[in-house]
Amino acid sequence: MAPAVARERSTLTIDIGSFAADVAALPRLGLGLGLRGTHFDHILTERPDVEWFEAISENFMDSGGRPRYVLDQVAEQYPVVLHGVSLSIGSTDPLNREYLAKLKALADAVTPAWVSDHLCWTGVLGANSHDLLPIPLTEKTLHHVAERVRRVQDFLERPLILENPSTYVTFIESTIDEPDFLRALSDETGCGLLLDVNNVYVSCFNADLDPVGYIESFPCDRVVQMHVAGHEHQGTHIIDTHDRPVVPEVWELYRLAWQRTDGASTLLEWDGHIPSFEECHAELLKARRYMGGQFNAGRSHDVTKSGHESLSTPVDFLVPNVMESAVSE
Amino acid sequence: MTAIERTADLRGLQTWLQSGLIGPQPIAADEADQILAPSARLTGSQRWSIYQRAYSSRLLKCMAEQFPALNHALGEDLFADFAREFLVAYPSESYTLYELGRRFPGFLEERRPDRDAPDGSREPWIDFMVDLARFERQLFVLFDAPGHEGNPFAKPETPDERLVLQPCFALGSYRFPVAAYYHEVRIGKDPAYPSAEHSQVALVRTDYSTHTYRVTGFQHALLQILTRGLNVADALRVLGADLNLSGPEIQKFWTGTRGRWIAAGFFIPSG
Repeated sequence: MAPAVARERSTLTIDIGSFAADVAALPRLGLGLGLRGTHFDHILTERPDVEWFEAISENFMDSGGRPRYVLDQVAEQYPVVLHGVSLSIGSTDPLNREYLAKLKALADAVTPAWVSDHLCWTGVLGANSHDLLPIPLTEKTLHHVAERVRRVQDFLERPLILENPSTYVTFIESTIDEPDFLRALSDETGCGLLLDVNNVYVSCFNADLDPVGYIESFPCDRVVQMHVAGHEHQGTHIIDTHDRPVVPEVWELYRLAWQRTDGASTLLEWDGHIPSFEECHAELLKARRYMGGQFNAGRSHDVTKSGHESLSTPVDFLVPNVMESAVSE
Repeated sequence: MTAIERTADLRGLQTWLQSGLIGPQPIAADEADQILAPSARLTGSQRWSIYQRAYSSRLLKCMAEQFPALNHALGEDLFADFAREFLVAYPSESYTLYELGRRFPGFLEERRPDRDAPDGSREPWIDFMVDLARFERQLFVLFDAPGHEGNPFAKPETPDERLVLQPCFALGSYRFPVAAYYHEVRIGKDPAYPSAEHSQVALVRTDYSTHTYRVTGFQHALLQILTRGLNVADALRVLGADLNLSGPEIQKFWTGTRGRWIAAGFFIPSG
């Protein structure tokens, strides 16, 4: 556990130990789904029996239209968490104060159970690639990221929950394994962790690592939330596509992660070729089958045969279908 | 300077990687292989190329979704060519994808090959493309702009002195009937490339749907005055003075328009 280092900030005393305590006290929400525009009508009219929703922060922080209206309605009826894709905590650009202010305002209004983002950078020199790019994992980058996490947490006045990203490259200069890096980051800042089980599977295959070993060495006591999602196996590498059901191998890893995290809140991400709400929900509920029993690693990879490489980290679901709501008079 | 020297610190590394991602040229394979570790199946540069392929595809898809009618008009390949050039010239600088297409209409105008030609001798299809992009961008902005839903709109009995435009409103003036083209595409048709024809529209969002109304030149002039924040009574006086029209002439026009615009949610009561 991180030492309770108190640091002064104008009129407020921020205590890293208190963030760690806050993380430890966060609730177990059960099984949740990503809040997607294509499901808005269904959610508002049917009030489906889902335990919680995860909203993409950037899609709502500037919204004066229907997305924000829907989020407000959903937040009245369900627990909600905010999940960001543009914090860029690993970037060497200055932290975006405007972004942080809007994130804080959104969090103050929606009162999410927590606010999360990714261990990544999205751009430098003012640009945004809208991808979740990896950083080398070294003592130096650990110090860099930890300092930024502390500043973000001070600003937001709440702990940040950081997710292991899916990665396609590793750096020759890296000296720390990702689980150890995240443990040290949590130790230094009090931040919580989001364990994306599919990302573990994807990144480990792409880097020739053992996903079971990854989970076993992960600081599971800091895990607040888990993600599961579908991916595409290309044979030479795996793409994190979020556009299909979760593969059995990832569900098996989830079984292990569920045990080691003591049942952390679990969320299904489905962001490309999004099917009906019922289909997404049915996929999510498969998680129940993996909440007990013995881990079984004996599965084979289902390699795509199309030769086509699907999109990693799809973001087009973040773009609303404006044409749908346009009316000619 | 070698790749290793350029990437000795995190800032240098990120700048170098990003230049090969959003810039026109990918990073050199031999340089990438000095920085990025290979896997059992791929070299470091092959692994990085997964990011390069995804960057372009990902944002082109978002552009096509922000400009669906223009994508239809140009065809996917030509639209992607324009969008690809645009993303090199104007990479995203915002945390939100909503801003991705903001500069696209201006980009199409500034990059037109006939931009130095005199008025009247420019390619009309480029004018159409630019105007359609402007219209689509305006619709996109209104979709999520602050609106008046959940609050009272003006009623027929609201006096003109209290009628002001609602916040989620925009006016458009185009060289082509782009709104008609857009709505044809929206209902699944494949409209022909339209002839040049001046068109003016009012865009009004009510109940989270954005409605397009064709307006006359006279109506457009009044709405333009109203966008300055004036109430209708004052705007009618300004319009009369601008056009040198008598009070009865102005009132005759307004009487025929008032009820329809109030019913359509153009106005909210001020004060």
